[in-house]
Amino acid sequence: MQVYLPIAEMSVDALLLLGIGFGVGWLSGMFGVGGGFLLTPILILIGIPSPVAVASGANQTLGASVSGLIAQWRKGNVDLKMGGVLLAGGFTGSFLGVQLFAWLRRQGQVDLAVSIFYVVVLGSVGALMVRESVRAILRRRQKGAKPKRLHAHFWMHGLPFKMRFRKSRLYISVIPPLLVGFSIGVLSAVMGVGGGFMLVPAMIYLLGMPTSVVIGTSLFQVVFVAANVTLLQAVSTGSVDIVLTLLLLIGGVAGAQFGAAMGTRLRGEETRALLGAMVLAVALSLLWGLVATPESAFVIGPLP
Amino acid sequence: MRRIAGALGLLLAALLPAAAPAQPAPPPAAHPVFEELALAPPPGGRPAILPPAPTAPLLVQSPPLLPDAPAPLLPPLPPPPAPVPAPVPAPAAPVLDAPAAATPRPALVAELSQARVEITTGFTGTELLVFGATDRLIGPQPGAGHGDDVLIVAQNAPQPMVVRRKIRVLGFWINGPSARFRSVPGVYLLTGTRPLREMLSADERSTKRLGLENLPLESTGIQDPSYRQALLQLKQDAHLWWEADTPLRIAGARLFSARLPLPATVQTGDYRVEVMLVRDGRVLARQELGFRVERVGTAASIADVARQEPLVYGVICILLAAFAGWMGSVLFRRS
Repeated sequence: MQVYLPIAEMSVDALLLLGIGFGVGWLSGMFGVGGGFLLTPILILIGIPSPVAVASGANQTLGASVSGLIAQWRKGNVDLKMGGVLLAGGFTGSFLGVQLFAWLRRQGQVDLAVSIFYVVVLGSVGALMVRESVRAILRRRQKGAKPKRLHAHFWMHGLPFKMRFRKSRLYISVIPPLLVGFSIGVLSAVMGVGGGFMLVPAMIYLLGMPTSVVIGTSLFQVVFVAANVTLLQAVSTGSVDIVLTLLLLIGGVAGAQFGAAMGTRLRGEETRALLGAMVLAVALSLLWGLVATPESAFVIGPLP
Repeated sequence: MRRIAGALGLLLAALLPAAAPAQPAPPPAAHPVFEELALAPPPGGRPAILPPAPTAPLLVQSPPLLPDAPAPLLPPLPPPPAPVPAPVPAPAAPVLDAPAAATPRPALVAELSQARVEITTGFTGTELLVFGATDRLIGPQPGAGHGDDVLIVAQNAPQPMVVRRKIRVLGFWINGPSARFRSVPGVYLLTGTRPLREMLSADERSTKRLGLENLPLESTGIQDPSYRQALLQLKQDAHLWWEADTPLRIAGARLFSARLPLPATVQTGDYRVEVMLVRDGRVLARQELGFRVERVGTAASIADVARQEPLVYGVICILLAAFAGWMGSVLFRRS
């Protein structure tokens, strides 16, 4: 069943989009991430123009994260103060990111920039995740492993503007969360992802937040940054395709429920290792797309 | 207008099954008077013959045309009209004013199946039917060489395009030098009774700018013919530019019909269709038709809101996505 996407100005099989949404939703439900990092590259792969894929991906991430946020909010797992600080950084970052995106589009280098961002970010995050989880699995096999400290103290904790985050049981400078929020905001705008897969490790390892509030707070940040990116993309590049977004969401929401049910049956370390491997695979396939000799030596496009 | 189009369609439908083979093939001897008459209309961009007024004479005179296919015997050509009257048919209804025989008969009449192509949310591309009739025989004639030819060109307003060459930097393929083409038709579709090359000489093709090879593509930036070639190739791969390999359909040696393929990626806006009558390597008569490609229904309103009220559209997108996500989680949790 073909459906015409009014902003992408092309027609795509609706079942294919529902299927992609379902698959990504299933994986994201299983691993507890938004899945934007999978969705945008797949959309580009099936021929959706990069600007539309990125902008609609952000919009989809927003929808996919809302239900999670509501659930976490009910359980009281959202640190509003920390979320607010992250968000302040995130708004600034996404604002600059959208400007960067529009500039890249004028230069005709959007496809390249999006791919490089993906390869670098996904490659390093995926590698870190695989390494960390493999170590954890090995450590579990060894008996009598040493208990870990809650978090290590390093230079970051000497920065000024300290603030108390009650729910996270932290007394740290606002600069690191602001920077974390800012960089996630930029990536969110350029890559069309919510950034949950980077935000969660950053909050645990960099900020030292307790795991219980990490998911809720990161969802809080993701929802609002994705909303901001959607709005900014709609205004500055006009490339948000609501038909595409909704089709993906319908599949995604259904898939997420099945994925979540399956995810509870997997061990934490194995889940992380699998997720890391998947992230790495996406990065490698995008890298291949950059290195492989293109079918045509030329590309055409409208004059921006 | 619609009635005339419908009538023409009926006429065509009636004639199509009774195909050409039984054609008596009257000698296509060029009648000097008639040739002169047919030659006159083209000057200027204005269509030589415009519906509805011009189509009327055809209908009035169609009786001689109708028996064409079934009856093997037929007067070869209608009596040539006096050369005195103006070649362009008078807009005043000829049906009432003059007896049918005295009205100059247009050399070429064409019409489109639809004046509007609607892009709905289920749009996957479509075909536009161009059909019409000529006064003299067209297409290959058994034993008597080749009759007149019909050439159809459809295109939309040109727009600027940029062609970039991919270059390899540090092992990566990136978009490198570019050539900018100021006016590139988004869609260019050409078909005819014969391949263009056989119909018109190279000179004629280039002066009339006919055919993909003769599109006026001037570029700034890098001057290299390979960019132009790439543009031609990529546009044809996207089915936006098309030169038919197979001839259009001819029925009864006077009626022609062609289907112009419009892909799903067809741009919205106004399109111009030129139908030309070609004889002995020259364009004798031409008629200009037009159609419009429009988004309708949901697709149209979405695109309109997105362009005119981007802020409102952005907010709607946010709310809709949030609502869909929330709805979905509620629905699937219950079940």
